[in-house]
Amino acid sequence: MNFELSEEQKMIQQSVERFVQENYDLPKRVEISSKDPGYNKDYWGSMAELGWLGLPFNEEDGGFGGNQIDTLVIMEQFGKGLVLEPFLANVVLGGGAIQMGGSEELKREILPSLIEGTKQVTLAYAEQQSRFDLEDVTTSARQEGDKYIINGQKSMVLNAESADHLVVVTRTSGGQVDEEGITLFLVDSNTKGLEKQNFPTVDGLRASEITLENVEVNAERMIGDIDNGFEILKVVSNNGILALCAEAVGAMEILYKDTVEYTQQREQFDHPLSDFQVLQHRMVDMFMEYEQCKSLLFRATMETIQDPKMAQKTIHALKHLIGKSGIFVGENAVQLHGGMGVTEELRIGHFFKRLLVIDSQFGNADFHLDKFTDF
Amino acid sequence: MDIELSAEDLAFRDEVRAFFEENKIKEGEDYFSWRLGWFKKAREKGGWDVPKWPAKFGGPGWTPTQHYIWEQETARATIPFDLPFGLGMLAPILMSYGSKEQQERFMPDIRDRKVNWCQGYSEPGAGSDLANLKTKAVLSDDGSYYTVNGSKIWTTLAHVADWIFCLTRTDDSGIKQQGITFLLFPMKQEGIEVKPIITLGGSHTVNTVHFTDVKVPVENRIGEEGKGWTYAKGLLEHERTGLAGLSKSLVEVEQLKENARSVQRGNGTLMDDSSYKSKVAELEIDLMATEYTELRSLANAAAGEELGPESSILKLKGTEIKQRIQKLTVEASGIYSSAWGDGGIGFPFAKGGTGGYLNSRYFTIYGGASEVQKDVIAKKVLGLTKGSKK
Repeated sequence: MNFELSEEQKMIQQSVERFVQENYDLPKRVEISSKDPGYNKDYWGSMAELGWLGLPFNEEDGGFGGNQIDTLVIMEQFGKGLVLEPFLANVVLGGGAIQMGGSEELKREILPSLIEGTKQVTLAYAEQQSRFDLEDVTTSARQEGDKYIINGQKSMVLNAESADHLVVVTRTSGGQVDEEGITLFLVDSNTKGLEKQNFPTVDGLRASEITLENVEVNAERMIGDIDNGFEILKVVSNNGILALCAEAVGAMEILYKDTVEYTQQREQFDHPLSDFQVLQHRMVDMFMEYEQCKSLLFRATMETIQDPKMAQKTIHALKHLIGKSGIFVGENAVQLHGGMGVTEELRIGHFFKRLLVIDSQFGNADFHLDKFTDF
Repeated sequence: MDIELSAEDLAFRDEVRAFFEENKIKEGEDYFSWRLGWFKKAREKGGWDVPKWPAKFGGPGWTPTQHYIWEQETARATIPFDLPFGLGMLAPILMSYGSKEQQERFMPDIRDRKVNWCQGYSEPGAGSDLANLKTKAVLSDDGSYYTVNGSKIWTTLAHVADWIFCLTRTDDSGIKQQGITFLLFPMKQEGIEVKPIITLGGSHTVNTVHFTDVKVPVENRIGEEGKGWTYAKGLLEHERTGLAGLSKSLVEVEQLKENARSVQRGNGTLMDDSSYKSKVAELEIDLMATEYTELRSLANAAAGEELGPESSILKLKGTEIKQRIQKLTVEASGIYSSAWGDGGIGFPFAKGGTGGYLNSRYFTIYGGASEVQKDVIAKKVLGLTKGSKK
């Protein structure tokens, strides 16, 4: 048992930490978020140059052969600045699906340009009725010769606005909620019949509603085998959960530390707020939740690397705890900042919003508690 | 003990219902002229336009039970919006401490909804510790006017207010609660600058207000100089222990359940989901108990007794319940809870749901943070002061 990062990982951690400190104070973030495309293209370029976008990809695909711990290291630091660049959508979700199920040709075509930061990919899985159920898919793909015709709708697709390609989850057979019969396709964004409706999300990021009307895609653009896409989707979703939870842990650290600092400065009733025991205990609770989340994050990540199937129960536990504790820490950071916490002027509220959104992605606290009890 | 409403109370309830039904806004009717007309008709009913004012000042002089019925019925009815600042906050102070001239000058316009007021209490350094306020008012040598300098914060709707009632400091030689003076002055004048504060829900309701050499005639002072804290405090306690808007919450919980029933899950809906429905059930149980805590409090008030200890928990429980309703709305929205503004297709109730939740975090902060309320209860109700060892 060893919780030490490798020398390389420590270097990456320091370099991401420095990047966030230098480039992600609140005014800067608000400025980047409010302008198109919702992130900074120069930053994205630097991330590619520094090799961050290639970390978890295999060496033969142009990556560095890293694993979920490398992603954890990056995402935790990103969480401390609420970084806007679409790392999750590209590297973990879209890229992750291609790496896992794409043909050699597809990987050669997409992954190097993704790693260089010149092309972008995302994952379109959720639908209007699906809520958090990955297997609930109605968007259909019907074979016609060497092509497939896709019809349907995809919801809350992260970063679709900037994505050149979308990994679209479709149903090729079976019923609406069958795990069998799900197939993934790589669809170019500018394909005829694909429409995006883009909008900002609560946390200052971007998402889109996608409609697909008789969208033609070549059979060669299938990711993985026909009807067997669910397994890829499940693994990618688990990796997405690990990445999001690492980001959440970073955000929780900022929230509890900012709160401790603020209560030491703010005076009411002739004392700093930090003199009041009821507030001290609340901050201890926030700190404990943060540490517990971090422990479960390490556990779920390490177990996933060892044996992804065995780790499933821990992943449910993690996403439940992160959802619940993230909102506890966020709500109390706001409460202890008083009126100032409810404004856009302090970064507290922005971190809280991100934690709120993280709870709604890949299943909320209730959803994963329910799944946990199935084991 | 008896929970049945008397025949008179039932008749009153029917009368209120009938009034609301008769005076609903008609299709195509202009909202603002309907609103003013509604208040006019309510006034003709015998002071229904100012239900909380005592009969002496033109209110209906209802019993506590009648007030309770009114609140329950208003939560379900279509009635025009109203702002609390003039009607519910300043008017009671004018009634208790204002001169006859001040009452005659300000109360008719408040009653006619002609003048919008805002409340100038909190300051950057004076939140829960309100008595720490620093906005300075200096009396002129001839004693005819004050010159006001300083800043207020969290001033709700200051950007649309015509007048402000404002706590200022005229003396800082004694303890903080002394030397505070209660002034009234117009907002649209030189030397007053209003800046918006955007809250987490993305909306503009509160502001900062800066005063630079604002001149206020001495006849706009309520009561004596330096006694403003006493005047404001009575109201503040009313605000802190006041009714918790439970009738509204009851309606909102019904809406919440309806929303959840519109979210399909498998062969059922979200209301069949065991964790979700347990949370809604827990919320309803708390609400049921709090409703009766409020009724007990009202009954004591009706019997002419002092407000009992149970009334102190109403704001705490009431605001917590409102926050939980908002949180459960966010959860019902599922993946669409993260869409901002008009984004996403989602469910109709998801629009604005998350903004509502974020803004609801304010409920346990304004009018005295919950932690301060609990301090007050610990001291005043449980007698837990330093040195209270037995």
